[in-house]
Amino acid sequence: MTAARRITNEVKSFHPFIKLLMLLVGVGVVASLLRFVYGLGATTNLNDTYPWGLWISFDVVTAVPLAAGAFTLGAIVHCFGIKKLEPLVRPAIVTGFLGYSLVSIGLLLDLGQPQRGWHVFRYWNVHSPMFEVSMCVAAYTTVLFLEFLSPVCEKFGLHLPLRLLRWIEMPLVVAAAAISTLHQSTLGTFFLIAVDKLHNLWYNPLLPLLFWISAICTGMCIIIIEASACHKWMGQPNEGTLLRTLAKIMPWTLGLYIFVRLFSLFALSDGPFFDRPVLTLLFFIELGFGFILPFFMFAQKSIRKNDRRRVIAACLVVFGLVLNRFNVSMFGMMDPNQIYYPSLIETLVTIGIIAGHILFFVLIARYFPIFEHHPETVDYSLPDQFRKIDSGEKSLETGTFPEGETVTGAR
Amino acid sequence: MSKADTSKNNAFLIDMTKCTGCRGCQVACKQWNQLEAEETEFFSGEGYQNPPAMSEYTFTRIKFRDYQKNGQNEFAFYKEMCMHCNEPACASVCPVGAFEKTAEGPVIYKAERCIGCRFCMIACPFGVPKYEWSKGLPLVKKCTGCYSRIKEGLQPACATACAMAIGYGPRDEMIKLAEQRLARYPDRYINKVYGKEEAGGTSVIYLTSLPFDELGFKAVTLRPLPGYTWQALRLVPGVFLSVGGGLSAFSWITHRRDRLKNEKQAELAEQGSVPSKEEQE
Ligand code: SF4
Ligand code: SF4
Repeated sequence: MTAARRITNEVKSFHPFIKLLMLLVGVGVVASLLRFVYGLGATTNLNDTYPWGLWISFDVVTAVPLAAGAFTLGAIVHCFGIKKLEPLVRPAIVTGFLGYSLVSIGLLLDLGQPQRGWHVFRYWNVHSPMFEVSMCVAAYTTVLFLEFLSPVCEKFGLHLPLRLLRWIEMPLVVAAAAISTLHQSTLGTFFLIAVDKLHNLWYNPLLPLLFWISAICTGMCIIIIEASACHKWMGQPNEGTLLRTLAKIMPWTLGLYIFVRLFSLFALSDGPFFDRPVLTLLFFIELGFGFILPFFMFAQKSIRKNDRRRVIAACLVVFGLVLNRFNVSMFGMMDPNQIYYPSLIETLVTIGIIAGHILFFVLIARYFPIFEHHPETVDYSLPDQFRKIDSGEKSLETGTFPEGETVTGAR
Repeated sequence: MSKADTSKNNAFLIDMTKCTGCRGCQVACKQWNQLEAEETEFFSGEGYQNPPAMSEYTFTRIKFRDYQKNGQNEFAFYKEMCMHCNEPACASVCPVGAFEKTAEGPVIYKAERCIGCRFCMIACPFGVPKYEWSKGLPLVKKCTGCYSRIKEGLQPACATACAMAIGYGPRDEMIKLAEQRLARYPDRYINKVYGKEEAGGTSVIYLTSLPFDELGFKAVTLRPLPGYTWQALRLVPGVFLSVGGGLSAFSWITHRRDRLKNEKQAELAEQGSVPSKEEQE
């Protein structure tokens, strides 16, 4: 069978849902080509009043915190030593890597001069939040790529790079958390410059801190949702017990968020707050359903233990975060006399990006060992112990790994 | 962002009580900058002004407003343009530093650097930078402050065209002149020099006889805008180091604890008490 034939057969064997995703991605690609042929003005509803629209609000400002699971979990597992959550790390890294790659694509589509994107690295302006975020996104995508290389190397049995990756694993985890802290919060700093533009309900000097805490909350919720979805639709084992541990952290982070949010609103913001009914409604939906309700849900043991309710609570947090980011970057800055709504092409591109994310995740999970990674089979002593490399070299000669570090899941 | 002394910067002093609304400045600007005409229609926008807004083709325009005075209809005018802020928000947010506050006064735009992220348009408190929405690879457009003319010792095109309403000279002198006029004719003006403190001070200064908000001036903070983001951004290196350092320390501790535990178990294993490997993990 030729390679092409094999690929066609493989594609034919896919579930119809995956085929639908492929179609959506294709439509998104065509739509983004149109953007380059006809220009931003003709294909989007952006104008001088709304220089930023759906692509910045969703593809960048919202997608980045949605991909925060990787760094949060990495830090929880490796730095705080809650090792039993290890099986969740790899799917989170794949999600993060995909998320950030797509953020970069979204950012490039939105730029007027994408071919000059590299100028950011040439003309530094440390006073610019955009500079900071671009640098961090570039650095973090690289880190995630390196972390993502592990399953790839396992798949192809490349032992030497694998050993190297093991060795830099800890530095990568720490770098990931530090870089993420910076750019997750700096996305909030973006809007600090919009004094007198962003509505008082959202404008406050703690915006960067709030963005960071909510990103951490959402990162963990995405992991809960993702693991449950993989269990339900991809035949993966139920990680319920692990998710329960993760859910136990949630009330703390959510509580902290709600506390800082209310503090910044009452102590650090100036009114008027409730002068525009639509914004008032959005605010209460965001805070009430998106943060306070799931806070009380996660605080209850019965809900944390129930697979279904736990996912519902997690979905609420994700909903709250998405609404929050849209409130800050779009609704809260809107001029009531001239409403912005995304054009068809903007919408198709964003749908394509979301579909692409799910599609690539499913495909990667299909061909690479991202779930077969359980603590029982991992030798944690490797990264920080040079003397263990002796046995590693032996394994290179013989082509097998020392027991305890089973990579057989890959084969 | 320049914290430098801006008192010797050149500034515009625009006295709206002397403006007749002839729009000579608007035409002069188009001519000097070789900007295309825009197709307009009568009664577009809020008043009689045309074009309806500043755009990639229009860097300055006269905004009209009609109002009643002693039962009579009157016109008020306001010349809208880039304010050439002393500490421009557009320059501080631009990731590639495409905007620069020059020592002569104008805030200039280096088109060859711009990546087109449009952050400057979000940041500018006066809504000045406009985008070439018609193009495939668009750039930002805004008033240049006639930097090329200033460097040759000329005045900006609009100030040259205007008979009496636009003055141009060192900022401190322009402010002094404005304050003198306010003192001499207190009943002719609203007692305010707009631009003296707005957004941390601008190189365009206005005097009017009507309240500024009624004329369509935006309400802006008096604090220089770059400070709003800088108060968070300046923490970046510290946050990076403390998060990185803190987590490194934490993981060193947890790993050491694990290692000690493993070693102890290995010792025990050697003595033959705990042989199973699984329990070490
Ligand atoms: S008015 Fe706007 S564009 Fe002009 S210098 Fe100030 S911030 Fe920049
Ligand atoms: S659009 Fe251009 S000038 Fe404006 S902030 Fe972005 S890179 Fe700078």
